[in-house]
Amino acid sequence: MDDQGCPRCKTTKYRNPSLKLMVNVCGHTLCENCVEMLFVRGSGNCVQCDTPLRKSNFRVQLFEDASVDKEVEIRKKVMKIYNMREFDFSTLRDYNDYLEQVEDIVYNLTNNIDVENTKLRMEQYQRENKDTIQRNKAKLTREQEELEELLLLEQQSNEQRRLDVLQEEQRQLQAKRKSKQALLDELEKSQLPATILLAQHKVRAAQLETEIEQQKQNVKPTSLFSTGIQIGQTVSLQPLPKIQEVLYQYKPLQIETYGPAAPDLEQLSRFGYLNHVRAAMPQDTAGGYSSALACYRAIQDAFSGLFPLKD
Amino acid sequence: MHTALVRLWLNSDPFIMPRYVSQAFPLEVTKLIYCSRTVPEIEKVVEELRKLMEFYVKETGEANNFMALSLSSRKNLCIHPEVSSLRFGKEVDGKCHSLTASYVRAQRHSNPNQPVCRFYEEFDAVGRQVPLPPGIYNLDDLKEFGRRKGWCPYYLARYSILHANIVVYSYHYLLDPKIADLVSKELAKKSVVVFDEAHNIDNVCIDSMSVNITRRMLDRCQTNVDTLQNTIQKIKETDAAKLREEYRRLVEGLKEANVARETDIYLANPVLPDEILQEAVPGSIRTAEHFVGFLRRFLEYLKARLRVQHVVQESAPQFLKDIFDKVCIDRKPLRFCAERLQSLLRTLEIADIADFSAVTLISNFATLVSTYSQGFTIIIEPFEDRTPTIANPVLHFSCMDPSIAIKPVFQRFQSVVITSGTLSPLDIYPRILDFRPVTMASFTMTLARTCLCPLIVGRGNDQVALSSKFETREDFAVIRNYGNLLLEMSAVVPDGIVAFFTSYVYMENIVASWYEQGILENIQRNKLIFIETQDAAETSMALEKYQEACENGRGAILLSVARGKVSEGIDFVHHFGRAVIMFGVPYVYTQSRILKARLEYLRDQFQIRENDFLTFDAMRHAAQCVGRAIRGKTDYGLMIFADKRYARADKRGKLPRWIQEHISDGSLNLTVDEAVQLSKHFLRQMAQPFRQEDQLGLSLLTLEQLQSEEMLQKISQIAHQT
Repeated sequence: MDDQGCPRCKTTKYRNPSLKLMVNVCGHTLCENCVEMLFVRGSGNCVQCDTPLRKSNFRVQLFEDASVDKEVEIRKKVMKIYNMREFDFSTLRDYNDYLEQVEDIVYNLTNNIDVENTKLRMEQYQRENKDTIQRNKAKLTREQEELEELLLLEQQSNEQRRLDVLQEEQRQLQAKRKSKQALLDELEKSQLPATILLAQHKVRAAQLETEIEQQKQNVKPTSLFSTGIQIGQTVSLQPLPKIQEVLYQYKPLQIETYGPAAPDLEQLSRFGYLNHVRAAMPQDTAGGYSSALACYRAIQDAFSGLFPLKD
Repeated sequence: MHTALVRLWLNSDPFIMPRYVSQAFPLEVTKLIYCSRTVPEIEKVVEELRKLMEFYVKETGEANNFMALSLSSRKNLCIHPEVSSLRFGKEVDGKCHSLTASYVRAQRHSNPNQPVCRFYEEFDAVGRQVPLPPGIYNLDDLKEFGRRKGWCPYYLARYSILHANIVVYSYHYLLDPKIADLVSKELAKKSVVVFDEAHNIDNVCIDSMSVNITRRMLDRCQTNVDTLQNTIQKIKETDAAKLREEYRRLVEGLKEANVARETDIYLANPVLPDEILQEAVPGSIRTAEHFVGFLRRFLEYLKARLRVQHVVQESAPQFLKDIFDKVCIDRKPLRFCAERLQSLLRTLEIADIADFSAVTLISNFATLVSTYSQGFTIIIEPFEDRTPTIANPVLHFSCMDPSIAIKPVFQRFQSVVITSGTLSPLDIYPRILDFRPVTMASFTMTLARTCLCPLIVGRGNDQVALSSKFETREDFAVIRNYGNLLLEMSAVVPDGIVAFFTSYVYMENIVASWYEQGILENIQRNKLIFIETQDAAETSMALEKYQEACENGRGAILLSVARGKVSEGIDFVHHFGRAVIMFGVPYVYTQSRILKARLEYLRDQFQIRENDFLTFDAMRHAAQCVGRAIRGKTDYGLMIFADKRYARADKRGKLPRWIQEHISDGSLNLTVDEAVQLSKHFLRQMAQPFRQEDQLGLSLLTLEQLQSEEMLQKISQIAHQT
């Protein structure tokens, strides 16, 4: 790539490592200095193909082959207009035909075949499909969505791993510090000779080490998120399939009480049952309680099970 | 008959078992696929099998129509006078392809001057109708047979593996997706697959799925793409119908391949994921011009990525997002890239496929990166670690999950056996290869005498701790003591000594230091010294001369490197290796980014700690190195581990059981002197005459002994322990 150079001033990358090559819509290169010099007035013609160019359209050449730069530019423009997605078509075949058509347009524009007609076709398409284009602007293709999701998952798991390691390290550090402090305390207070204490400490420290070692060994399996979704599994965003079933029908509950029918809840006060029950305090009624409820319950209890069992 | 069974079983070649089964269950087990690492090993297996079959014929008295053959690359099998004289495997493949491709042969109809391979023509004309006569064929037999009949042995072998009873070939024919697709995809489901010497199988899997892209390769790729474009232009002018036909096929989708896979005819291919088969090629790369434009964009993008100044590591999704932002390439066409390129190459009838290896590689990369969102990482290094001033950008697309490559094998074949002399610890393999083992067993060796003597030398005579750890790499005391060890051993050990170092750099340093201290001179009074280098030709020359020196009684020392060519697959039987000295623990280069990424992946996905894996990897290579010395029951040898770290339980516990058993507590931390004393004693004992009768009843059984109740019980006991 060192032999890349400006076609006008013949400077090459080898002689001037900081050489910046620029490219415009026609796909011909010029170095930055030449651009500055030739396009002082903001516009001019390409040195090689005489296409009228604007200075503001010059951009840094990304690829070695300038025609690829040009193609990518054109492609981006075309993609903005031809932005139908796979779900806009009924069959995959149609979608593929559509993709090929788009590719044809890009190919024609890049290789200067029938440019006028192609541009006309594009404009016509743009007029006809204004709504779809507008609608699809914000939408990503399904594959891009999947990609984004994967990236997100990756980021999350990386972050999680980093945090885990950090926590683990801190815990170990703390444990070590604690054991050291404990030794100092003991040396200060205990009556035992220091050699014994030191020996004890040594044993404990060794135990701690092995514990830490063991903890490192049982790495917990991290193939699940906290939600139970597997890492790496792509979650489909399609609506849940509807289950076709018969609607639920309510049937009033029939209870066999084996006793005479108890009076209804509404009838209780009319028949004077409530006269012999403790009236509800105002604070009791706050929760929806009424003295009738307790009474109703007691009467049902009393009435049920009076008849002998029928076989 | 049974004697043979035991004899082979002890000789560590376990393929007798499936063979035994295949006669017991002829409908269940139809074929044995035996994979090994190197050509010499493949040959060895075939020779052993030949002996066995001769024995069967002799004992049973009936000739069975049993066929076994080995398969290797064109380079090893070609008999075409011009093609076989080429030096590199790739050249042979390319030349062969240019002579035998279907369209080249089709052109011959119109143009009789078109050169073709007469051996292939002959094979194609008659070879397929007549099956290979039953028998055991190694590579030379195949070539001989081919010459006699005038048939191409390579294609004959490839065709014959479909109905052979036993196929012996290299791992790559089953694990590398590109090759497996050509060779092994039609092998029957009822086959039994054996991976021998499988202690390195995870690395083979990973290598077969990884792609390294350098700047030079991209330049070659650029020429490839230009050629493609020109060819398309030419064809468009002359034969547009061909392109139209291809286009029509692509619109229809890859249905044929899909049907084949659904009906389970073929082995699955990781580079050709299922989603591709179910869909048609996306419209954006359907026509040839568009596809070439697509490749060009992809290529330019890669070039731009390689222009980085600092190391970049990213995951596949990040890469895909970036590529969409920069050059508007979607994931889906990327996924179809490899398949689309194959189709284009076929349509354009490009004769020399070898020229297009660069673009094929890039397209494989595109497919892999877009298919697997996990298990791969992309690392772009602008320069090598050792030479930070020289720009040499490399894009490593590194596979971290060996299970991806081996999964199709596990899914397809009814039983897969993974075996090796140094497969230890056993339980790590199911974890890294992600499978559920039906049974695991580790066998010891039944020996008539303790013919191996592992010693761990932890200190020099001056009590300096011996270790190859990083801090003491440059320590003169350690280097001197290592030198003393080798010097004293060279005085007591007869014939050949093989010494292994942890790396080439370490070996160079130590040898230079020995030279300065005069140790080398002293050693040379006892034995000649040969050194393994990175150059394969040089190494094989050194090896040859080493064997010559051992042969004539002078004795020699071979200095070589763990993980090198010598440590993998070269045997030092009998006097070629009476002692193996392992200087240091052969850890991998831990600073490599690829390794780091892999360790991280292992920790996150398989809960294998970094240290565990590194130790496991180091110990399997150490065991592999020292295992070179003992290649049979009559063989004997010293195994000297010269590093104090081998004494630790975590290292020692990872050695194979048959070595561990012979390490006594007394030989855990020896000085050089003590080791020499023990060796002298051991060697004298071993040098006593050893006759076959001594082995009887222990490691060699007569028919009566084998059929005795006691022995049968013992065998069943061994077979059931895990």
